Amino acid sequence: MNTTPATEKPTLFMAEDEEDTASLLRFLLERSGYQVLHATDGHQAQHMIDTIAPPSLVLLDIMLPHFSGLQLLPYIRKKPEWHHVPIIMLTADSSEHDMQQALAAGANDYMIKPFNPRELTARLSRFLKPAA
Amino acid sequence: MSATTLSNSLIEIGWLATITIHALILILLGWTLAVRGLRIATDRRRQAMVTIWRPILAESLIEAPISLPAIHPRDHVLFLYLWNHLQESIKGESSEELCKIIRRTKMDEVVHHFLASGTMRQQLLAIVTLGHLKEEPAWQRLLALIHAENAFLSIEAARALVRIDATRAIPILVPLISHRADWSPLKVLSLLQGTGDELVAHALGEAALNAPPLIAARLLRFLASIRSHRALPLIRPILTRDPLHEDVLASCLSLFGQCTDPRDLPAVRQYLTHPTWFIRVQAATALGKMGIEGDEARLIGLLEDSHWWVRYRAAEALSLLPSMTDDKLSILVQTLPTTEARKVLTPFVAKRIQEALASTANVSAA
Repeated sequence: MNTTPATEKPTLFMAEDEEDTASLLRFLLERSGYQVLHATDGHQAQHMIDTIAPPSLVLLDIMLPHFSGLQLLPYIRKKPEWHHVPIIMLTADSSEHDMQQALAAGANDYMIKPFNPRELTARLSRFLKPAA
Repeated sequence: MSATTLSNSLIEIGWLATITIHALILILLGWTLAVRGLRIATDRRRQAMVTIWRPILAESLIEAPISLPAIHPRDHVLFLYLWNHLQESIKGESSEELCKIIRRTKMDEVVHHFLASGTMRQQLLAIVTLGHLKEEPAWQRLLALIHAENAFLSIEAARALVRIDATRAIPILVPLISHRADWSPLKVLSLLQGTGDELVAHALGEAALNAPPLIAARLLRFLASIRSHRALPLIRPILTRDPLHEDVLASCLSLFGQCTDPRDLPAVRQYLTHPTWFIRVQAATALGKMGIEGDEARLIGLLEDSHWWVRYRAAEALSLLPSMTDDKLSILVQTLPTTEARKVLTPFVAKRIQEALASTANVSAA
């Protein structure tokens, strides 16, 4: 897990293609004191994973254009500096197979959409120190 | 003289035609530009509305906004779209907070007006909104709408009723679910999945026990799609019926496969040798989901079935058995005695290899 100076906001990297969901998540997370970096598809997510510093946490939608969340997951885990970053999968489908695959590939947790906003922030706080 | 007059008339007609055609072109061009300008202005206005309301609605999930901007009548439909879209994205107590916004902005009155006298689009929007609002006073009106000829209106009214009071709604809807073939199965599933398993299992299970075979099979397929474990005790006795309709039997096997209760394994195995091919297909499919190592031999036997679909599903089922490792599957395909059996199993071996490679390969290499 990344440690950040107390004065800096912890960073969340979010890969979500659905505009309204992304907007809602960004609002909730920024309100909770996190800096949000957003990728709208698998290509952009891969580029950001290659270029940005490891964040404090990753929110990864399973259904993404170009590369799915399940394809990005092992890609993230292979990078040494990202190896310990907590990853939470977002899925609109309660498919057991997808969730089993995600957990086996290294995801730390998952949330099924529609999600409870309070539950989401509570789950995130398990993996992060609270923002100032 | 007359030739000259005729010639002049023709020239005049020609000029008239030219001017008329050019005038029509200019009118059409002007109309196109006006429509385009109107479209751009509408899009800008809508974007401005979304920019204002999206953060307000998101904030309302956490705490009630102190003040709310007025909503222009021309933005009513767009606001309701935004509101409903957000409702569909969340669950829990935040949904209640969102309902308060509708009431504070008096949009609930607009919704009732849309339901009473709106266009089809407005009516549909109103029905969906009333469901999310859990608006009890709209119950009777929605009850009338579930019998509407229009399948969109009726299924959305059904969904709204379930949202308002599922316990009261499901028994009313079961006869419609049984008979309305124009209701999209996916929408029916979505409606059932939003309700408690016990309630649905009991209502659909009881209906399936007493329905004609084709209706019973339809209801059982819905139970299978929602993996209703609670329906199993109700449904198991169906297998003792004599005669037992084959569509009903196939649907029962599908339910057993989806629920994967080991108590149903003997029944599933029993039908692997049924004379009807689609029963054998359902039995093989179910065995793939719930079978154990001892079932490998049974499924290998089906690889030489007379019907292609049975062979295909048996091969798929074999590849899904937890005891069937990649190595075991590869060795099996090489040792099968017939070409047909090897041919049907080979794609599943290839799929396993592909999945193994994909899970270790770099994304950029892929």
